[in-house]
Amino acid sequence: MIAVEGVLSALADPTRRELLEHLSRQGRATATTLAAELPISRQAVVQHLAVLDGVGLVAARREGRERRFEVRTDPLTEVARWMESLAAQWDGRLQAIRRIAESKGDGAPIRPL
Amino acid sequence: MSPDRIEREIKIQAPIERVWEVLTEPVHVGTWFGTGEPAEIDLRPGGVMVLDHGVHGRYPTVIVDVDPPRSFSYRWASAYPDTLATEENSTLVEFSLEPFAEGTLLRVVESGFDSLVIPTERVGSAGYESHAEGWTGVVAKLGAHAEGADASPLLAPK
Repeated sequence: MIAVEGVLSALADPTRRELLEHLSRQGRATATTLAAELPISRQAVVQHLAVLDGVGLVAARREGRERRFEVRTDPLTEVARWMESLAAQWDGRLQAIRRIAESKGDGAPIRPL
Repeated sequence: MSPDRIEREIKIQAPIERVWEVLTEPVHVGTWFGTGEPAEIDLRPGGVMVLDHGVHGRYPTVIVDVDPPRSFSYRWASAYPDTLATEENSTLVEFSLEPFAEGTLLRVVESGFDSLVIPTERVGSAGYESHAEGWTGVVAKLGAHAEGADASPLLAPK
């Protein structure tokens, strides 16, 4: 849950989303090449990459004097799993609602399983 | 299913009025969404409905729409226990009820995951035209990448 929140928080910024998409299209890129494509400074790109790196959405490899980044999709799988677990929780609640509604009378509530 | 929303439905062999009661009356809500104790519910738009998750905390949700016996919606800040739901910290939960054969079709939609987390700093993007799509769009796009050909450089092992 905490990991998912971190990922969501990192993705909440539109610039970071744009950055990720550029990086995803390019495969691998340095902060310098990304800054050349985006209307923000190299310094800003570096900061955004650090946030993305912190939650595992990008990974860096040092090549010569520069670090080359690439997108990692594992955290997105986590997010998808989280959404699936929320959906499963709703299934459980709907089934509990059905059990109560289909039980006779207004008597004692039935505890969900 | 769009990644920004969860949609689920169930067929219930009970009249729509009965399903409405289960959905909105404190004794029932406390059972299907709580610890078993009756929920506190101020059943009106703007009213607060407290969903008690026991050890996970209490969630004061804010009711958006009450239209018996057809629709009922509220906002809940599921990531923020003990915090009143606002447009910024919460998702929207919408129930709709429809007569179906001899029973009721109950549908729930939870939406707004895209705006669940609000960026704390936008300094870096000042003057930058933000894109209409939120994080779920990116997740879908990058997810499509991930499912694509394994030749994708995205998936190159470390």
